Amino acid sequence: MSLRRFFYSFPIFFTVFLLQEAVVTQMRLPAGGINLLLVVALIWAALSTPEIGALTGFGAGLMMDVSQTSPGPMGHWTLVLIIACYAIAFLGYGDDNIRGNPINIIFLVTIGVVAAQTVFLLLGMMLGQQVGSVSNIAFLLAGSAFWTAIISPLILKVISFFHANIFGMRSQL
Amino acid sequence: MRYGGDNRGRLLIIVLLVTSLFLITLDLRGVQVIDGLRTGTQTALTPVQKAGSWLVSPFRNFLSDVTHLGRTRNQMEKLTAENEKLRLTLQNRKTADAQLKQLKGVLNLAGTAGYEVVNAKVISQGSTTSFTQTITIDAGTSSGVRANMTVLSGYGLVGVVKYAYRDSALVQLASDPAFKIGARIAGTQQIGILSGQGTRKGVLQLLDNTTQVRKGDVLLARGSQNGRPFVPGVPIGEVTSVDNSPGAVTQTADVKFYTNFSTLGVVAVVVSGSSADPRDSLVPPKPRPTPLPTVTIYATPGAVEPTPTPTATK
Repeated sequence: MSLRRFFYSFPIFFTVFLLQEAVVTQMRLPAGGINLLLVVALIWAALSTPEIGALTGFGAGLMMDVSQTSPGPMGHWTLVLIIACYAIAFLGYGDDNIRGNPINIIFLVTIGVVAAQTVFLLLGMMLGQQVGSVSNIAFLLAGSAFWTAIISPLILKVISFFHANIFGMRSQL
Repeated sequence: MRYGGDNRGRLLIIVLLVTSLFLITLDLRGVQVIDGLRTGTQTALTPVQKAGSWLVSPFRNFLSDVTHLGRTRNQMEKLTAENEKLRLTLQNRKTADAQLKQLKGVLNLAGTAGYEVVNAKVISQGSTTSFTQTITIDAGTSSGVRANMTVLSGYGLVGVVKYAYRDSALVQLASDPAFKIGARIAGTQQIGILSGQGTRKGVLQLLDNTTQVRKGDVLLARGSQNGRPFVPGVPIGEVTSVDNSPGAVTQTADVKFYTNFSTLGVVAVVVSGSSADPRDSLVPPKPRPTPLPTVTIYATPGAVEPTPTPTATK
């Protein structure tokens, strides 16, 4: 039942993927900009059960992996996002203090984005990728956190609306 | 109630993790299906990206003006005096002029060296979420662009074509941390390896530790066999500081790239290098001081009117 509902979310993620690739990457936002798909996947996971969170991470990770700008091997982002989305869903599941308060979700997602990128970076280093200077990495991570904290509140209500329509009204904020 | 998980849930997580590890293994082993997936996605995305580029263009211009507020203040003050229609026209004209200027610059550079180039517009800048520095251009294999071709701007090296699709290509910028290029210093011909650092600054590692590098030295591409991935003689950047630590195994220097990677609009892909090495002919000329006109006035008491004598000083 949940799995079937999960597949209903595919058009939403595909639209976000297209938006990311065709619009967000054009804007050349300062401080590295934002990855909309990453933020949406983590918010979606924060509103879901851990199983759906992991599946969300798997789907969104695959989309990020097929993106031409992904430097790592196929499956690199998938692995990172399965873990990140599962962890966020696990932290929020059954705890209304987290799930009932949008500020907590935004905080969790912002931390999640930085953590996911850090894990991606570490995994990339293990796979032999060049990652650049420490100052540049710190700048990009800070930029990601900044943009996530700005964008998340703007899209949280919309994502919550779609999530509630697919998985039931309990998850609506 | 905290989530405790059940066997079915754990099994699902394990299956997903194993699948992702399986994908990583397949990709690292060079399985063609995985490459095909990315190529197919990019081919399908190119028209969407072109449409997105056209749609976002006014917003991007606005954002660029806001980002460079300090530098364009005078221009903006002038623009505010004009009406909305004129401002929009001017902005569109500005974009076209900037692209024309970049195009002229790149054609001048390519013409001097005798490179055969394909011009292209930048249609997307890669997300830095994955800690890479890339751009997508609107020329691909249908225009003769192939992987491992040098990409130029009017100022010098931009990067190298990493993947070429039918109507677009992904360019790895010289600022990418994974980017490396053999470089030589114009004049002294010392050689070294320049690496990107994720910013406009690169690090040059000289191969011979006994040679001397000076601040202001110009770096040129040393070139590769058959001109791929790098054609020889392309200006890369200028040495900004030298690390002369005694006892260091190799001498290193910081290099500022000539190209400003955040303002790229038009670039050129070198599809065929010149038959002869252009040597140092592409070294950008040093800026010359502009003569400052001064006027000397001799005032003689009792004279009817002063006689101004214009002179020019350098």
